[in-house]
Amino acid sequence: MLLSPEGTSRSLAAVFTPIKSRGLVDEVCGRIEQAVETGLLTSGQRLPNETELASALGVSAVTAREALSQLRASGIIRTARGRSGGSFIADNVLPSRERALAQLHDLSRLQISDLALHYEAIAAACAGVAARRSDAADIATLRSFIPAADDDSLSWRLALSEFLLEVAAIARSARLARELIRLQADLGTLTLLPCADPDYRTCTGLILADVAAAIEAHEARAAETGVKALISATTDWLLTEQAKRY
Amino acid sequence: MSETTSTTGSLAAPAEPGPADRAAAELDATIAGIEQRLAVWAAETGAALGALSGKVTGTAVDKLIRPVVAELVQLPDGYAAGAGFIANSGLLGPERSYIAWWQGADLEPVDALANFSPNSISRYVKAEWFRIPVETGQAHVTGPYVDFLCTDEYVLTFTHPVFTRPDGPVAGIVGIDVTVQRLERGAMPSLRRIGGRATLVNGDGRAVVSAASDIDAGDLTAPEVPCQHYAVGRTFTVWSDAARL
Repeated sequence: MLLSPEGTSRSLAAVFTPIKSRGLVDEVCGRIEQAVETGLLTSGQRLPNETELASALGVSAVTAREALSQLRASGIIRTARGRSGGSFIADNVLPSRERALAQLHDLSRLQISDLALHYEAIAAACAGVAARRSDAADIATLRSFIPAADDDSLSWRLALSEFLLEVAAIARSARLARELIRLQADLGTLTLLPCADPDYRTCTGLILADVAAAIEAHEARAAETGVKALISATTDWLLTEQAKRY
Repeated sequence: MSETTSTTGSLAAPAEPGPADRAAAELDATIAGIEQRLAVWAAETGAALGALSGKVTGTAVDKLIRPVVAELVQLPDGYAAGAGFIANSGLLGPERSYIAWWQGADLEPVDALANFSPNSISRYVKAEWFRIPVETGQAHVTGPYVDFLCTDEYVLTFTHPVFTRPDGPVAGIVGIDVTVQRLERGAMPSLRRIGGRATLVNGDGRAVVSAASDIDAGDLTAPEVPCQHYAVGRTFTVWSDAARL
């Protein structure tokens, strides 16, 4: 069967797509940004120098240096010269509404809905398998990630992504878990926006409780439906907000 | 550790060990071997840390731990995908932990960025593989679970508390990560000799490796009646005939 007019398979074409040479640098930057977002590294804290960073992460000094300069350019770290100099985690480095809005406006509606579709497929698959494999300890852990209605938007965003990661952990599939992590990285700080809306928080809080109950009761279908509702609530919110741009 | 334990049902255990008993003994030797190696390492690490007379630094810990990890992960036919030591708060400073953990044959450092965090202990206190050996002072096996911190693989983590003095507080833990995939290759020949539905399960009855096609690693299972039960290591069991719940 011919997949393209030229008669070459589309998957073969993908093999010859150039590989991004900056992969490793981006990876190091991603790790540090993630450490900041999860509170492991805090504003004002001194970062290791490039030699220490390189040896800690098992990358070359060149990669570490490039990563530090990329982080400096994106405002994650600031550098001070002199005897008490070095690299420090910048102030106001946490994901902000402004940055999230900028990200939202960079995306097309097509990109948002396609990403949501992929996210939904993976998360629902996790939920279905999780419902089959859950035990009592799993459910206790899962419920510990349900945030309180008055938590701030940053903790809500973190709790929502941790909740879905826990669903993947209960499903006990390494592949699905890795895919979910990748998708959450693609979503970036976007998910911060709806978390500032009390209505969204009320709605998703109820869905999280339903999902946990369905996984506890080994009801795969209900767990899948709940997870899909959670993601579509997020997508609807983002698409509504994005439309205001026009 | 390798005794054939209770028989459920009417069949009496044979006087002479049969092929199934020998296969179960092999599995037990594999798991118990990992547990014993870890206990020896914990004792050696405790003694060496104690000899540092209170001046424990990250560099000193690395120097102590890395050669052992290298030996464990590079052992031909070895089971360790990764291994290391995590300090309990107090050893290097209050609220501070220290992770000296590497994975893979080229010794990739794990979570090393956490060593630059002033509150790194918060990362480990909730994790079962750290919390339980610290709280109980006993060895523990966690999993199988998807290990987000290290490999993102489906693994078992064997951990053992480290004491610098016999009556002292837990100074930290040593641990070995074993991927389910690696264990499966070692365990399948033995399981097949035990039976077509023989299943290696953890203490919760969760399948680690099964010879049955309808039981996947991670599924909750129960022994059929009748069924032979073989103890494997400290907490695992092989059921000669299991069913998915």
